[in-house]
Order: sequence, then structure tokens, then C-alpha cells
Amino acid sequence: MRTLVKYGYLLFVISTGFILYSLLFNPVAWIVYTIAIVFIPLFILSFGLITMAKPKKDEEEGRVQEPFIGY
Amino acid sequence: MNLMADIILNVMVAFLFGSILLGFHRKVMARVQLRPGPPIIQHFLHSLKFFFKETGIPRTSSMPFYISITVILCSIWVAAVIIGPVNHGSLLLLFAIYAVYKIVEHNSGSSSGSPYGKMSCVRAVFSASSELPLFAIIAIIYLQVGSMNIGSIVAYQDINGPLIFKLPLVAIVLFILILSKSPYSPFGITKGKDIISGYETEHFGLLRGYIMLSESISWYILSWVFLTIFFGNLSFLSYTIGMLVIAFLIGLINATTPILNPNHSVMSQISIAILGFVGSLLLMFVVF
Repeated sequence: MRTLVKYGYLLFVISTGFILYSLLFNPVAWIVYTIAIVFIPLFILSFGLITMAKPKKDEEEGRVQEPFIGY
Repeated sequence: MNLMADIILNVMVAFLFGSILLGFHRKVMARVQLRPGPPIIQHFLHSLKFFFKETGIPRTSSMPFYISITVILCSIWVAAVIIGPVNHGSLLLLFAIYAVYKIVEHNSGSSSGSPYGKMSCVRAVFSASSELPLFAIIAIIYLQVGSMNIGSIVAYQDINGPLIFKLPLVAIVLFILILSKSPYSPFGITKGKDIISGYETEHFGLLRGYIMLSESISWYILSWVFLTIFFGNLSFLSYTIGMLVIAFLIGLINATTPILNPNHSVMSQISIAILGFVGSLLLMFVVF
């Protein structure tokens, strides 16, 4: 889970960078479309990975590696 | 306006409007069933709330596919926003996006490893075989207008009046498509309550919020496409009223109709698609 959060920060920086690039420098349309389709979803996901609640250290194994129950 | 700013603005509007409309749809269903129901902004609040919840990853899930499928779901509806409200592009591309969406539903179910998800992923194949023929009715629009481009369809309606009066059966078929996409739909076999939440069952926490965000965008886009291709260039107020009417009608239908079993659902949708297609051709070439 901690690796995921690290990836979250990395993706957040990369996607913010690309979105700001197309906002500030207004590149040709197909580049903007590509950035929008790839990096807007990644920006939202990375934001979620950063903001989501993290399990406590001693509970992490049981909470994160949750096996299926109920069937 | 800067193109990226336009896209971001439209994605935000799609999410806000879509989530409020889904909340309104749920409220209508509750009132029909004599329940007070949740507030209209509940769907919106839930989508945001899940971004702050703890997220686990099931042991049996297929990583990183389990997470990336939610990114693909969001990507295809962001692409739909670009093709629709931003660009007034081709209906054929939107048809392709809907086809990919059915594949994403299928893969989302299988990626979790849950039997409910797997059952839903099988049903997604069934529903694709019935929902794609429903969407294929746009071929009739091409025969009438001579173009698949949304901009050209709007221009055609500026001269000849709304298409809904010329192609009423096509409108009904596309309405059925939106109905089958709605929550608690009689045709919603992929998320039938007999399989818990279908392909979404094991996506919880952040990923559930992410899926809900994408679904809000998809609901807005489908309503937008329906209103644009049958009523032409509408004002902001007309779009709002039109989307509320669609959500109201679908809420009414969903509240009073049980979920069909997969066989009945598929056969009903295919029958409606065939009747709509043949009936529209007869109306075009025989009656008018």
C-alpha cells in the first residue's frame, strides 16, 4: 500500500506537469487530447491515492491484504 | 478558450451534473416507492467521500489490472466528453467508446477475482450483444441526415426542425439504451442485486469513488447526446430541463419495474432494436 501511495505522489507530479504544460503552452490539438485522455484520469487517481485513509502500521497486513469473505 | 481549459471545464460540468442527475434519479425512485430517499446530492457526496476512505486490494485480484481498469473507464468517458460537448465530433466514435465501455465492464468484473465480478463479466458480454444493436440505430440518423457528425446533425436540425419528430422510433431505442445504463434498470443485468454490485463488488474505497465519478460523466454524456441529436442546439437551461426530464422518466420506470433476468433483458433489448430499426426504415421510405 505504501508503494501505491509513493506511485500516487509520482503520478500526481507527472500528470499535473502535463496538464499545466497544455494549459500554459497550448500545444496542437492532438497533443492536448492525448494529455487529457491519459493524464486527467491519472491526476484524479493519484489525488485519490494521496488523500485516501491509510491503515495503521500494526493493522496494515490484515486490512490491505483483505481476503474474500462471505462465500 | 484554451483547449485544455475547455476540456477540464466540460469534464467538471459532466461530473457535477451527472452526479446530481443520478441523485435526482434515486430521489424519484424513492418517492415513487413512498420512501423519503437520500438527498439529491448524495451521489455526489458519496463519490467524493470514497476518495478519503481506506482502500484495500483483494488477494485474488489481478494487479495492476484491478486498478488500471478504473483508469481506463475514466479515460473513455473523458474521451467521450472531448468527442461530444467539446468537439461535436462523430457519433461513430461515441459508438466505439460505448463498445469499449462494455469491454471495460467485462474486464472490471474479471480483474477482481470475485465470483460476483466474474458473473457480472459474463453478463457484460450478454448485455453488449443487446446494447450495441441499440446504439447501432444511429445508422438511421446517418440515412436521414447524411452525416454522423454531431455538428452536422445540429446544423441539419437548425434548418429542418428537431429530429425527434422525424425519427421518433430511433429516439425511443436510444432512450432504452440510456435506461439500460441507469442504476436499478430493468435491463441492468451487470449490476443486478442478485450478484451484489456486479463488476463493482470488489472495487471499494477510493476505486469505488473513482468508478462513481466515471459513471456520473457517462450519465451526463448519454443524456447530452440524446438531447443534442434529437433536439439540436439547446440553451444551457434547455439542456438542464431536458436532462432532468430524462432522469425523472427513467427513475419512474426503474421504480416500478423489476430487474429482468439476463435472457429476458437481452431478448427484450434486441427486439426493441429490431423493431426500432425496421419501423424507422418504414417510416422514412414508406410513410414520409
